[in-house]
Amino acid sequence: MALMNIFEGLASLFFVLLFAPLFAGLVNKQKAMMTGRVGAPVWQPYYDLFKLFRKETIRAKSASFISGLSPAINFAAVIIAASMLPVCNAHPLISFKGDIILFAYILGTARFFQILAAMDIGSSFEGMGASREASFAIFVEPIFFFTLGSIAFITGFTSISDIYRSIAMDRMSYTVFIVVCSISFFILAVTECSRMPVDDPNTHLELTMIHEVMILDNSGQDLFFYQYSGNIKLLIYIVLETAFYYPLGAGLTAVGVTIFALNILFVSFVLAGVETVTSRFKLKDMPHYLLFAAAIGILNLLIFTFNK
Amino acid sequence: MENVLSILFCLSLLYLALTSRVKHCVNVLQAQGIILAVINTLPLFHHFTLGEIILPAALLGIKGVLIPFYIRKIITDLDIKDPIEPTIQQFTFIMLVITLMSAVFVASGILAKSTEINIIPFASGFSAIITGILVIIFRKKLLVHVMGFLAMENGIFLFGSAIAFKLPVIIELGMLLDIFVVVFLMGIALNKISTTLSGFEAAQLRRLKD
Repeated sequence: MALMNIFEGLASLFFVLLFAPLFAGLVNKQKAMMTGRVGAPVWQPYYDLFKLFRKETIRAKSASFISGLSPAINFAAVIIAASMLPVCNAHPLISFKGDIILFAYILGTARFFQILAAMDIGSSFEGMGASREASFAIFVEPIFFFTLGSIAFITGFTSISDIYRSIAMDRMSYTVFIVVCSISFFILAVTECSRMPVDDPNTHLELTMIHEVMILDNSGQDLFFYQYSGNIKLLIYIVLETAFYYPLGAGLTAVGVTIFALNILFVSFVLAGVETVTSRFKLKDMPHYLLFAAAIGILNLLIFTFNK
Repeated sequence: MENVLSILFCLSLLYLALTSRVKHCVNVLQAQGIILAVINTLPLFHHFTLGEIILPAALLGIKGVLIPFYIRKIITDLDIKDPIEPTIQQFTFIMLVITLMSAVFVASGILAKSTEINIIPFASGFSAIITGILVIIFRKKLLVHVMGFLAMENGIFLFGSAIAFKLPVIIELGMLLDIFVVVFLMGIALNKISTTLSGFEAAQLRRLKD
């Protein structure tokens, strides 16, 4: 049984690592189609990553050892986070009581090193991007803890896989919790992965960028690690989002995997739709947008506390 | 089911606090009107009387259709600009709303120990009253003040459905008519103001003298 669990965990980790670029490509393709363009093929992120991997890495003269260390730490942290995911309700590789805290802070570590590396190079652009990323991180963490924390309260578990396993949409009020949480989780995913209403991944105009500006001076394999971990991070959040709507008991059967794939496809469609119809918010409007998501989490917690 | 709709109502309040467009405020009010109508229809599923269907129907008609239509008409007729022009930062405003909402939920939890109330609808209604007051205090545009007032009235209606005893239908209908007349009068007043002054901000009204 233990061997089977390890096998399931490895398979889910492998799934995330393999399909993360495909998901990003899928969203970009759908976005292109919605705006009436043909768009790059779905496999484009793989080509890009391959190209970056073969290229020579050039570092700024002013950069210290942190710039060399940061991409690897980023990648490792994201892989650890990915190995806690309940893909298809399978048993994750890493799972213990209270692992939601580790999950939040391992991604926090990745962000911290990325910010540090951005400032390490000494360019004012990157410093600006780092400051923006840090200020958004302040608002993002409450969203995560209020949302997933409120579900942890409701279900009584503190491990990600246990929480998602015990989500049962049998009662009407329970369903509302889930729907409301998934809204704030979507906002969290969009913010964390620097997608459209918060940051535009396509622009390279210094003044509109948050995430993109931090990796402006990276090239070759460093950039490969950043891009790849960005893709993985997006898929991690999307898997967590779809896991809200994963029916219990479906498990790792053919039906379960089909439902999972359909869920992922649907979320990619929604993400592409949101990115098509919304424009990027003004930087000064961002805190209320994020606070709104945190408020949803707080509301959830309040309702749960007083609805017993 | 009533709890579910009340949670939706709370979400709409949060959106009302967040949004910076007048048109979105109207949409929120319309949604709140529809939610209230549905909440008032729920008891009819257990015990149907023809007389009691008047209230939800009137709610839907007045709060869901008539008032939003009228406010939209005022917006187009008087060419009111879309930003709501807050007097404090939106961020502070939302923080204030969240804090007060939490306080209201805690207070309702304490209150529920001694009296017979439905906590979630009660607290949602109470939050709507407070959010309405805050909208009136911290926004410059007169039309947004009317919307704050309407959010408050919505809160009072939800409040009414949360307490155990029921008001006679005729009183609730009277309240609805009252609200409609207030909004109607406000529209006329705004029209009159527009002939004298160019803007619709409360700050400008200080200059008025008899």
